[in-house]
Amino acid sequence: MGDTAGMAVPHFMASGMGGIRTAGDLVARMEYSKNMKVDKAKDYVAKKLGLSTLEIADEYIMRELREELKIGVVTGVPGAPRGIAAKMNIEKLLDIKINSCEKFRGMLKN
Amino acid sequence: MNNEKQELYDAMIAYKVPGIQAAVDKARKAGMSPEEIIENLGLGMTEVGVLFERGKLFLPHVLSAAAGMKSAMDVLGPEMLKNGTASAVKASVVMGTVEGDVHDIGKSICSTMLQCAGFDVHDLGRDVPKGDFIKEIKGGCKMCGMSALMTTTMTVQKDVIEMLKAEGIRDQVKVMVGGAPVTQAYCDKIGADVYGESASETTRKAKELKI
Amino acid sequence: MTEYYTRMGDGKRVLMSKDAIFADLVAGSADAADMGGIPDLTSAEIEKLFEIISDKNRVVGVEPGNEVVLTYDIGQLDFTGDNGNSGNGVDVGRLESALLHERALGADTFELAHADYSIKPVKPVISNEMQTMEEIQNEIVAPYFYGAMPNMGLYYKPDGPYGNPADLMREYKIEEAMDQAEKAAVHLARDIEYVSTRLVAAGADGFNFDTTASAGDADCVGTLNGVKALRKACPDTYINVGMSGESVMGIHGMIEFEGQVVAGLYPHQQVKLAEKAGANVFGAVVNTNTSKSLAWNLARSVAFTKVCVEKSSIPVHANMGMGVGGIPMCETAPIDAVTRCNKAMVEIAKVDGI
Repeated sequence: MGDTAGMAVPHFMASGMGGIRTAGDLVARMEYSKNMKVDKAKDYVAKKLGLSTLEIADEYIMRELREELKIGVVTGVPGAPRGIAAKMNIEKLLDIKINSCEKFRGMLKN
Repeated sequence: MNNEKQELYDAMIAYKVPGIQAAVDKARKAGMSPEEIIENLGLGMTEVGVLFERGKLFLPHVLSAAAGMKSAMDVLGPEMLKNGTASAVKASVVMGTVEGDVHDIGKSICSTMLQCAGFDVHDLGRDVPKGDFIKEIKGGCKMCGMSALMTTTMTVQKDVIEMLKAEGIRDQVKVMVGGAPVTQAYCDKIGADVYGESASETTRKAKELKI
Repeated sequence: MTEYYTRMGDGKRVLMSKDAIFADLVAGSADAADMGGIPDLTSAEIEKLFEIISDKNRVVGVEPGNEVVLTYDIGQLDFTGDNGNSGNGVDVGRLESALLHERALGADTFELAHADYSIKPVKPVISNEMQTMEEIQNEIVAPYFYGAMPNMGLYYKPDGPYGNPADLMREYKIEEAMDQAEKAAVHLARDIEYVSTRLVAAGADGFNFDTTASAGDADCVGTLNGVKALRKACPDTYINVGMSGESVMGIHGMIEFEGQVVAGLYPHQQVKLAEKAGANVFGAVVNTNTSKSLAWNLARSVAFTKVCVEKSSIPVHANMGMGVGGIPMCETAPIDAVTRCNKAMVEIAKVDGI
């Protein structure tokens, strides 16, 4: 490890996808759920979003799009879905299942 | 004689006890002195350490080579005593991971390598109270190896050095420091004598001290 | 002669000439090639590394479009940092830490961690960990793992029931040492299955095995068997296997996973075993030598990691923390060095993530 300002921030600045500022969480989900290497994962996410692979790491484009798609935004927006609600929308967008959403659904009474 | 020297070296790297014994017997029959035999076995043992560090040999192999060395010493030691030549046993070393730190593996490997190189190792384990290092040094250990794997515990190495100064025995002992966050610069800063990047580097530097 | 500001492996700033930097780049690559039996970096790659290292800007970065996934390990401990890992010493809660990483630090994934960050101590507090996992999953959007070190050292005396192999070896009890290591590995695999399956049941996206093989080859085998059991029990869970060093230390020497002796394996070989066990992503580690330059360390790290990426069928994330991946062993890692290592690892080694 190392201190956060010296390790986390520089890595984020140098090459980070951007997490929920952009589409980093979505690309990560495809790497982990389907063993996709990064180029393939970015391509998959870009197609689902109707964007290019360059655009999915573009904050300007992704800020509005995430809010429209209700998949979680990085700033505090009252009423914007977060947590399980946002992840349920991500499941539909990426055509995958997310464990915490499955557990949540399992807890609901029929 | 060069053949015998090479065979001693090769036998150590092959790390089989019978092979080492056979090479020692052959060297003795060829008239090589015990000191010379030990020197060449030592060169082989150093290479064994390097091969371990590079992932080509593993700890059981290192210990097997050391067992071969020990068996050679069982024969050569009495002969050296009879001849009145110097003892082959190197200085006593107290080793330990410092107080508050429970990381053990790196220190244990370093102790093993030092033992294989002929040092009399007193390994106190991990989370060693500072005073226990001092006790061992007062008891005759000429070298003190301290490992620390955390940035929060590496400062204990400095504490022990300060205790040695306060006791007036700093000059009687060579202090070696190591562990993931420890560097040469830190070693210099706290006034230690030796920094070991790895177990084999520490052993090499310990041997160079010629204590 | 023009000289460039660069760093040593302990983070100290030094001035080096172009020739000296090139010589260290070639030597670092050659050391990796010699140790791992892998190809040297090409002259074009060495040239590109020189460009990155000698860049006049304080901070460098990848070209737009070359971004990769950024994962974080060690959970909240990078803020709390009470276990010697150079954290900030801020006593932040685990929910707050998760959301700060997601919303303020650009994390593409994050994880929950126990203060000790080892598998074994999680067992007695598993219900607490499950509840916290459930709570944070309700709030977080990014993939959220549980992370822990297999840390098989905790299974040896005085912490655990098994004899310490390194101590037994020093007494020439080689067979007993090997036997104890094998027993500890079985115990570790059992604990991994116990802890990881429960956390997945609590909604974890997956499990991050951090610093695998820190106690040597038996630790590696125990972990891989634990991963295999987790994969069997939870076919869809995300599994990250991160290593502790570039080579698996041979404390046992002969212990095998799926018919393969694991001691002495390098990243490009380790990754194949992680794949077999069922990992989705492999975390490659290459250690930094504090006495060598950034150029030497970075070329060496890139050479090892590049081959690992090429050989791997699953994504490879380079471990890029203090003292690994070419980054200096320095608590406050210089950002010029960190960003240079990052760019090189992404654009030359072609990693899928950091």
